[in-house]
Amino acid sequence: MYYKVNSGIMLGMNAHLINVESDVSEGMPSIDLVGYLANEVREARERVKTAMKNSGYFIPAKKITINISPGNFKKSGTGFDLPIALSLLGCMDIITRDILNDTLCLGELGLNGEVKPIIGVLPRVLLAKEAGLKRVIIPHDNLCEGAVVEGIEVIGVKTLNETIDYLNNKCQIEGMQLSVEKMLQEYAGKEYIDFCQIKGQKALKRAMEIAAAGLHNLLMMGPPGAGKTLSAKALPSIMPPLSSEECLNISKIYSVAGLLDSGGIKLSRPFVNPHHTITPQALSGGGAIPKPGAVSLADQGVLFLDEIPEFRKETIEILRQPLEEKKIVISRANATYTYPADFLLVAAANPCRCGYYPDRNRCNCSEVEVKRYLGRLSGPLLDRIDICVQTKEVLFEDLVSIDNLSETSETIRQRVLSARERQKYRFKDDDISTNSHMSPPLIEKYCKLTKREEEIMERAFIKMQISARYFHKILKIARTIADLDESDNINPNHLYEAMGYRFSI
Amino acid sequence: MDKIKYITPFDEEYPDKLRNIDNSPEGIYIKGSLPNKDAPCVAIVGSRVCSEYGKAMAKEFAKELAKNNVSIISGMARGIDGIAQEAAINAGGKSYGILGCGIDVVYPISNKRLYERVVEKGGLITEYPPGREPLPHQFPQRNRIISALSDIVLVIEAKKRSGTSITVSRALEQGKDIFAVPGRLYDACSEGCNELISQGAGIAISPDIILKALGVDSNRQDSNAFRVPKLTKNEKKVLSVISFSPVSIDYIQNTTEISLQELFEILFNLQLKEIIIDLGQGNYIKKAPA
Repeated sequence: MYYKVNSGIMLGMNAHLINVESDVSEGMPSIDLVGYLANEVREARERVKTAMKNSGYFIPAKKITINISPGNFKKSGTGFDLPIALSLLGCMDIITRDILNDTLCLGELGLNGEVKPIIGVLPRVLLAKEAGLKRVIIPHDNLCEGAVVEGIEVIGVKTLNETIDYLNNKCQIEGMQLSVEKMLQEYAGKEYIDFCQIKGQKALKRAMEIAAAGLHNLLMMGPPGAGKTLSAKALPSIMPPLSSEECLNISKIYSVAGLLDSGGIKLSRPFVNPHHTITPQALSGGGAIPKPGAVSLADQGVLFLDEIPEFRKETIEILRQPLEEKKIVISRANATYTYPADFLLVAAANPCRCGYYPDRNRCNCSEVEVKRYLGRLSGPLLDRIDICVQTKEVLFEDLVSIDNLSETSETIRQRVLSARERQKYRFKDDDISTNSHMSPPLIEKYCKLTKREEEIMERAFIKMQISARYFHKILKIARTIADLDESDNINPNHLYEAMGYRFSI
Repeated sequence: MDKIKYITPFDEEYPDKLRNIDNSPEGIYIKGSLPNKDAPCVAIVGSRVCSEYGKAMAKEFAKELAKNNVSIISGMARGIDGIAQEAAINAGGKSYGILGCGIDVVYPISNKRLYERVVEKGGLITEYPPGREPLPHQFPQRNRIISALSDIVLVIEAKKRSGTSITVSRALEQGKDIFAVPGRLYDACSEGCNELISQGAGIAISPDIILKALGVDSNRQDSNAFRVPKLTKNEKKVLSVISFSPVSIDYIQNTTEISLQELFEILFNLQLKEIIIDLGQGNYIKKAPA
């Protein structure tokens, strides 16, 4: 007797279809589980055996072979218990032949027969849809996650018995369908911190608006308690709202990382702030089959590195590839894994060890110490940071003042959105979407200066000793400021402001 | 490469100014030359950790004094010492560095370039044998030589308790005049100076006062040091809130209530006019006259 059930496996971010086949034949009673399996998969034998017994089905005392194919790569992770059990039940003629041909099954079994949640459901449901399957059976706890995929019937099951009854038409389970669009609308950024909660800090707010509009990486410098973390947390609130496509892509990463709760998918723009003791592996993604690291979890969102001079050098070096290529490639003995890592980097630093430089009443660090402290920021990293801004300590007046003039995030977001529209239109023939990604030839093409602006830059170049690289940064930022200003040309004012966001030690 | 000379009180060259003090050095090592016997000498001293105001003042006083052929004596340290000596040499004057270590030991290493220039345009003097490490107790000791070799000790900036106060007490024991540059109250870097003034030190409100005390006729033309080029109304307004201690753009904006956009333009123009410096990260400071 032979029976086959479709299932899926995660290799990094990619889901692959696999088959779980069982064969029951005469011979010495045994159960063999084959197919290049990792330990956790091999353990499924005991779980399935017990779960079936406790659900009322005894495995016949025959020679049983279970194969998970194809056999050329290692199978790891859980989620194969349910397909294994169903394939056995198929061999035992308890479920109908061919009923699972167009179905993908996933789920871990408890010893009592309950179906437990697993990670990586969303990418596998998407895979099932792409492969043209009609139905997926997934753990009930993962139902919201799977239900966002349109065009496929998504069934959530709680126990093995319920699954059998459903397949044998003894009970009805309605397929669930959730609309990402609708969920995003209902969500509408509830979690975000609003900009009007940030007191004072006009320059910082303006810098963040520019950063959000052109996706320019940002460095905040300032004494402790100046609201660096709070402002960084508020940044997603002025970035464009997530599109359903972005939302699904982010949710896939969070699904693989096992970070989606039962509420379903990730509706907020990611904000990831790893502690400065984070290891390089945790930042890039680590493990034999790497799990997404902090850079990938921040995809399409904000990666906030507080106290950036305190991070280990090896850790910071990890950021090079993601900042350059918007993805991270992790090589392991058996394969190479690619994860998306397209984030807006926001870094924060104290200006010196004590944090109060240049306030000489409080800071006793020598010039050399100050230089050494900021010198820890590596050159390649600073090259990738366009905007640098000072945060100041919050004064009591700021705290208690009822500041009616403070703009809400929504107002700022509208400006950011229209600036993004302009950029999208501008770059429709180039494969970038924001100003920060312009390469030197594109800068030349899109940041044309007239005679008047050229003169300003020439004077600045000579008097303020600007490097060629910094010159390009100024143009990119000025382009974004002009976009925010709804201006097609870069005006002197845009250049003046762009030059105000300089980093120097 | 200059030779290192060693002279003792038995040599004629040995400065009289050193003979007459308590704990007179048994011998001194010299690289370069000794201060001219008749030339007026002023010690410019101050903290290693100093404010932009201190830097500006050290430069200004050293430059003006050096222009009037006053030799500048100091301790070659980071901060005020080094800045003053550098400025004196830049102005074409002479400067002498008194070391707290062996004469061939460069400390701090960041002053290496200054070492070479001081040897060329003045001299290095120490009582410690070549190769001696810069040990902490040697620095207060060398301060007595700084004050002994000078006619006036000028304190630019000092915190309440600092090495500068040792130089000042040695100078008082040796009967030298003390001048201090006044600072703002509550400014930690100027606390020492203001205290000296309250105790009766001379108030160094301009280099002329020092020159007068030395009995040197000032050949100073009307100094253009603090002259300000023509400015617009808003530029003046902005400049009025930027001082020698760094201020953030937020502060400037709050105080002047000029819109950010306009402010960026004004700040840019002030930089081009070389009146302010952009310290990066949105901090601005008044530029010290060159």
